[in-house]
Amino acid sequence: DSHIQYERVGADVTMKCGSMDWDAAVTWTANGTDIDESHLNGSYLILKNVDLSQSGQYSCYEGSSWHLKYQTNLRVGMPPKEPVLMCRSNNYPKGFYCSWHLPTPTYIPNTFNISVIHGTKDMVCEKDAVPKNRCHIRYLQLFSTVKYKVTLTVTNALGKNFTTLTFDEFAIVKPDPPESVVAKPVPNNPRRLEVSWQNPSSWPDPESFPLKFFLRYRPLILDQWQHVELSDGTSHTITDAYAGKEYIIQVAAKDNDIGTWSDWSVAVHATPWTEEPKHLTTEAQITETTSASTSSFMAPPTTKICDKGAVVGSGAMAVCWTAGLVVAAYSVLFI
Amino acid sequence: MAAADSPSAALRRRDLCSRGIRLAGKMRADVVDLLDAYVEQQGLDASASVAAVEGVPLAAVERWDEQTGTQRLLENLAAYRAFRALLAQMLEEQREQLGEADAGLGRALAAVLLQVSAFAYHLEELLRLESRGIPGEEGDGPPPPPRLSLFEQKLRGLGVLRELAQWAVRSGRDLRQLAKPSPANGAAPGLAESP
Repeated sequence: DSHIQYERVGADVTMKCGSMDWDAAVTWTANGTDIDESHLNGSYLILKNVDLSQSGQYSCYEGSSWHLKYQTNLRVGMPPKEPVLMCRSNNYPKGFYCSWHLPTPTYIPNTFNISVIHGTKDMVCEKDAVPKNRCHIRYLQLFSTVKYKVTLTVTNALGKNFTTLTFDEFAIVKPDPPESVVAKPVPNNPRRLEVSWQNPSSWPDPESFPLKFFLRYRPLILDQWQHVELSDGTSHTITDAYAGKEYIIQVAAKDNDIGTWSDWSVAVHATPWTEEPKHLTTEAQITETTSASTSSFMAPPTTKICDKGAVVGSGAMAVCWTAGLVVAAYSVLFI
Repeated sequence: MAAADSPSAALRRRDLCSRGIRLAGKMRADVVDLLDAYVEQQGLDASASVAAVEGVPLAAVERWDEQTGTQRLLENLAAYRAFRALLAQMLEEQREQLGEADAGLGRALAAVLLQVSAFAYHLEELLRLESRGIPGEEGDGPPPPPRLSLFEQKLRGLGVLRELAQWAVRSGRDLRQLAKPSPANGAAPGLAESP
């Protein structure tokens, strides 16, 4: 007669050998391994202060005949802590989804039950096949001031717990990040980068429910971001990039009127256009056959370095001269 | 009906819709600010639930995406006409309660009332364009409700402003739907259905 027995971590467990008398001679095994007699009180198995490692199959055999008299699957675990619940609408106005998890594992099976009430009306949250800890609801009404109340109850053999979220329709609207973010240099413009992106594909009707966007960008060498908010369109030209510096760029989205900003999109990198190096006539007499395959890292001819966009700070002449030597050094490496 | 479908009418409709969307957006921003000031001045809890009050048009709607353009306009017009009367009543109560003590709130209420009136007029223009008759305002409307206590007045005011804020968002959405090219006279295209 085999069954499952759930016990809390730290509990003292007493197992009886089925209907055997207390003074019967028995042998207990755990996962096939004999258990020392010191754990027995008569024919009862005593496990004190059980821990997770003591989960397993426990069997009791009659002393002389070795007939199996009792078997149980001991599962040591914990009652559930208060679950973490989140609800969000990334496909407004179609509906919203709620997802949940436990802050710490219980090590035994749990059952989740979710209820959604809108005013006095019960709504059905349809569970997703994947992921399992998620369900979705279609909005039956829009523009309601009545709040939604979502209660998630988690139950296992050792206890139950629950949490409740209350929110209104607008508060949980949060689009997915913009997709297909692309940043490109602009030919002949050393300080520009052209950025474009698309509405998140999960947003069902951008025409009726337009999104606005937030762009942030910085050169890799600096920590501070520049920000631009854009009320329409899915492209923007950065016009104040530092010449020759690689940039990191991200975009976020928000419904024009309600809800919160999306997470940042995947970051893209781009470097503004820099001019191809012309024939070099430096004092080091570098030959014309110098390879220039990595033109974005090749400084332009000495005179060009002195452009406003390329030189930061004062002492332009000194920087120009120094840059000329650097060009010479790089060119030597490429021969 | 043919006039409502002419190219010039379509352009006029898009223009009115665009301006209406901007009006609704501005109105919503001002109502939200007014709501914050109202809650503070009246000593209310911003998260307090207010039961639906008689006479306050609810913005909540089922099957919103299936509404025709005319339905949207008529429902919006009825709502803003009601809000016009409700805000006027709130303004009157405000003046009675506080006199000059809270002129700022009174001014903000009056400014929103003006925007509500302007928006109602804007909706009437759109209805005229649709060659629809403008529904008459029903005299003074239903008989005035029994005199409320001061606290009940405050709660009702909270309900009015909350519902107005919702309507301002809905109106923007309604006008965007209206601005879309319509497949047939008076019929508004629905949202693309997807599971």
